[in-house]
Amino acid sequence: MIAFRSELPLKGETSAGFVVWLVMVLVFMASIAVTTNAYIGALLDHWNQSVTGTLTIQIPVMLDSKDPTSSAMTARVLDVLNRHPAVETAAAVPREKVTELLKPWFGTGEAVADLPLPVLVDVRLSTNDAAAINAVSTSVQTAAPGAVIDDHRAWLNRVIGLAEGLGAIALTTMVLVTIALGLTIVFATRASLAEFSQVIDVLHIVGAKDGYVAGQFARRALIQSMLGGIAGLLAYAPVLAFIAWLASRIEPGILPEISFPASHWIVLGALPIIAGLIATITANVTVRRALSLKV
Amino acid sequence: MALLRKKSDFVGDTVQLEDVGLRYADGPEIFSNVSISIPQSSFYFLTGPSGAGKTSLLSLMYLAKRPTVGRLKLFGDDVTDAKRNRLPAIRRRLGVVFQDFRLLEHMTAFDNVALPLRIAQVGEATVEKNVTELLKWVGLEDSMQARPSFLSGGQQQRIAIARAVVHRPKLILADEPTGNVDDAIAIRLMQLFVELHKHGTSVILATHNEHLVSRFPFPRLHLKDGTVTAMPPAAQAP
Ligand SMILES: Nc1ncnc2c1ncn2[C@@H]1O[C@H](COP(=O)(O)OP(=O)(O)OP(=O)(O)O)[C@@H](O)[C@H]1O
Ligand SMILES: [Mg+2]
Repeated sequence: MIAFRSELPLKGETSAGFVVWLVMVLVFMASIAVTTNAYIGALLDHWNQSVTGTLTIQIPVMLDSKDPTSSAMTARVLDVLNRHPAVETAAAVPREKVTELLKPWFGTGEAVADLPLPVLVDVRLSTNDAAAINAVSTSVQTAAPGAVIDDHRAWLNRVIGLAEGLGAIALTTMVLVTIALGLTIVFATRASLAEFSQVIDVLHIVGAKDGYVAGQFARRALIQSMLGGIAGLLAYAPVLAFIAWLASRIEPGILPEISFPASHWIVLGALPIIAGLIATITANVTVRRALSLKV
Repeated sequence: MALLRKKSDFVGDTVQLEDVGLRYADGPEIFSNVSISIPQSSFYFLTGPSGAGKTSLLSLMYLAKRPTVGRLKLFGDDVTDAKRNRLPAIRRRLGVVFQDFRLLEHMTAFDNVALPLRIAQVGEATVEKNVTELLKWVGLEDSMQARPSFLSGGQQQRIAIARAVVHRPKLILADEPTGNVDDAIAIRLMQLFVELHKHGTSVILATHNEHLVSRFPFPRLHLKDGTVTAMPPAAQAP
């Protein structure tokens, strides 16, 4: 009972609507950052899984050699690979598939049929261990000097670099939003401290402790921020749905289909609570500080 | 030497000021070298012309200001430099009637009066009983749920008085508590203070009302030109 009585006037406070509105905007922005972060994480996982543990070996064609289609060399490479303990499967990519891959550049005409195409060997490793990958590479290199081995690391690293950059931006946004929330609460609390200085004086005279007064402000900050936070989430929901719809219209393959992990939804749902906690603590500290300077 | 009162003899006095002076910021000294000792269960009028510093003197006692110089003791406790976190416990033993009432506008008369009890976490049943009883005594049983701004100055003053006494304070500091009511009500309110005084509460009551002072057998402290003079009761005890 006592805990929910407020001696501060709840209505007519100048900064109340302002806080709710601002927290709504901040939580909306935080939501975007949370989703961005989760999306990048999921994307990286996806790419990591689809790329790691695989190698692509490109065996060059040497037109003037005794083996213009490199078939002997390919056989040697496959033999080495299939006997290697770290290799799960190894198979040459059929020529039709390679032609298919090149179609965007060369079309389907006669020209392609006669083109000396390099042989591609897809290797699936049974391990992700760098030493094993190196061992496989060395054996392939010995069996087929001039073969190009691509473990997709370089490509992946650049993608990871980009993703991490985006992730850092999302994180920076979270930090800025947190600071903005803290400052909002500090200034709003100071404004209402000034607005209610008479009421506070009376509370003190009748024996209220600073903690009691601070608690009242903290509770208001909690309620206002939770309200703002929930409003922010409600505003974000249709935006997220719209983005998901836009993404669903993109042809499959360009972007992998990603479902958000449970943690994404939990963090989103927790945002109003986190905002409430930050606001509560900030208001409490602000009031105690301000009051400690009094007589 | 038995004839001289040592400082330690004052322990237990309700209020004790030693060479107290007060000034606001860079302003002139409102009063200086004020030494008063209010024994337990006493009743003092505080008089003096407007602007003499009655409110200022009382505000030292209810710990809204600190003396610029000198020392202040309440209930035998030196509170001159008391840490802030000690003040609530001391203030809960005080009842203050402000000259300008300082009622909380967003609360009903009932809630205003209940405030000291609720702050002290008194049970709601007791709050209900004591507040209702007191509001009846001051003649406001019909206005318990009214906001202060809908009441007359005199009614507001009675709420302010009820709030100051509802928690049975040890010391009541009343600043012009009968300034807005007619003499009949003033006498009735005075009876409330007298009644509390008889039960052991100390009362310091600032007033301009010479008529009131002359009707009651209480000594007075007269504040003028920055000094306090103790004066004997104007009326004889009946
Ligand atoms: N907050 C303040 N800041 C500066 N000066 C003040 C302040 N409060 C009071 N004073 C000055 O202190 C002096 C005493 O004021 P105070 O209110 O204590 O007088 P008072 O005896 O209560 O007067 P009244 O009978 O009119 O209520 C006045 O000269 C006033 O101008
Ligand atoms: Mg005054």
